[in-house]
Amino acid sequence: MGIVHGDLMTLNIGPQHPSTHGVLRLKVKTDGEIIADVEPVIGYLHRCFEKHCENVTYDQVIPYTDRCDYIAAMNNNFGYAVAVEELMDLKVPERVEYIRVIVSELNRIASHLLALGTFGLDVGAFTPFLYMFRDRERILDLFEVLCGARLLYNYIWVGGLSHDFPNGFEEKIIDFLDYFEPQLDEYNNILTFNKIFIERTADVGVMPAEVAISYGVSGPNLRGSGVKWDLRKDDPYSIYDKFDFNIPVGTGTVGTIGDCWDRYYVRMLEMSESINIVRQAIKALPSGDVHQALPKKIRPPKGSVYKRTESPRGDLGYYIESDGSPIPYRLKMRSPAFTALSVMGEISSGWMMSDVLAILGSLDIVLGEIDR
Amino acid sequence: MSRYFRNIFESISTLMTGLGITWRHMIRIRKDNVTLQYPEERWPRPERNIGFDFSEYNIIRSRLQVDIDDCIGCLKCERACPVQCIKIVTVKSGAKGEDLMDIGHTGLTSNGTKKALIVTRFDIDMSECCYCNLCVYPCPEDCIYMTGGPNSKKHPIDYEFSQYDRNDLIFKFAKEVEEEKMAKYLPQKEKVEA
Repeated sequence: MGIVHGDLMTLNIGPQHPSTHGVLRLKVKTDGEIIADVEPVIGYLHRCFEKHCENVTYDQVIPYTDRCDYIAAMNNNFGYAVAVEELMDLKVPERVEYIRVIVSELNRIASHLLALGTFGLDVGAFTPFLYMFRDRERILDLFEVLCGARLLYNYIWVGGLSHDFPNGFEEKIIDFLDYFEPQLDEYNNILTFNKIFIERTADVGVMPAEVAISYGVSGPNLRGSGVKWDLRKDDPYSIYDKFDFNIPVGTGTVGTIGDCWDRYYVRMLEMSESINIVRQAIKALPSGDVHQALPKKIRPPKGSVYKRTESPRGDLGYYIESDGSPIPYRLKMRSPAFTALSVMGEISSGWMMSDVLAILGSLDIVLGEIDR
Repeated sequence: MSRYFRNIFESISTLMTGLGITWRHMIRIRKDNVTLQYPEERWPRPERNIGFDFSEYNIIRSRLQVDIDDCIGCLKCERACPVQCIKIVTVKSGAKGEDLMDIGHTGLTSNGTKKALIVTRFDIDMSECCYCNLCVYPCPEDCIYMTGGPNSKKHPIDYEFSQYDRNDLIFKFAKEVEEEKMAKYLPQKEKVEA
């Protein structure tokens, strides 16, 4: 059975489309119902993040980093703060490190819940989306208690945090985790092992490990292809080397290694690992003053730094060039979602039209971070 | 053949599992209801028991409010703003710490600081504000804050300050004074000699 080669039809998905997770345009070349090529067109959400950073002081950059990956803003703050601290050779108190780990792991759970919920939505499962958003809401409520904001936190500062934990906040987190852990089984029952969902996602959009590595894909997308690479373990920053956790990788349980289902399931497993980390961190949370190491004026010495951290989407890097003034000379952000989107054309050609959105959803992109 | 029937069996059984979960949720709907009927019900303000002696920090992200009588015009909030949405203009008030009744200027803040400057313009464009709260921390007199929070007695939380006109989102906090009265405090223009 061969493919009849006629003229290719160009089909535009987006820029305004609910399944593109933002303002993304996909130029899809179709041969009948089969995809010949997908070309993502980006830039609709470009807000000059890097140029803005050259005009504001180091602490004023943090609200801008919030707005890059607005789904996991804590992790973005974290990455930036760690980078500037390394540039300034600043040591932060132990309590700060623990709180940073706790909030960024909670944010990772929230981000994965959104990713999985909308992925289910893309392939036609509406109910799990509502359940996941309901539980994500609880994390956002926790963050609202913590720092007043629900999405754009500006919480992790260079050298410390904007606030300490409120009284009784640890118990609230434990309460949430106790509530949330059984929910994971519920998600598995309603979505993960649902036959219809498996048929839609297993063996679809297979990303072999070589392709993923050569495109620079990182995070759960890379781990879904069976590569055990997690910066929290392989290049530990902050205090991640103190925690005991596993790195889930895709095993091809229901299909091939590196298919959409694997990428989905890695995120599901990662959430339980995050719960594990948060529990350990709360148990070992030391006391201390979170404002102790906050520098009066952030004025790093001349030099440059590249620091990468593991955001929910993968390898988030900040390159900062300093000329000794209170304003960064140059700031470059390496965004994991950008590389994840760039592999889109490679892995989706040859699949059916309806698989494009499943593949796109499984890559879990955030356009705010791609366009910056 | 057996695979065909196994697929059908798996589809139906996993579908039933899913439907069982939704059914359980439907039974508990009264208890687990998370939807708020918005105009009738408001989102509950979370309790913020901060502790740790940071009770002066206001950690609500809402509309910015300025107690202009306490403002000493130090411009710290203007400099802290990453989006430059705060605009402040000050003039020197010849007499430090004295009340100037005709333009409604008070000489002392509620903390007892003597004011050396008259704030003639204090505009905050809330349509530009990014709610980062960075302007609130450096204020030495705690006069700029977001409504609600520890100041909720003075200013209840204002979540929905929507306006029909974008210009109405520019909040002017400086006291409105007639020009003639203000004129004697403004720096005198040097007369150009012919």
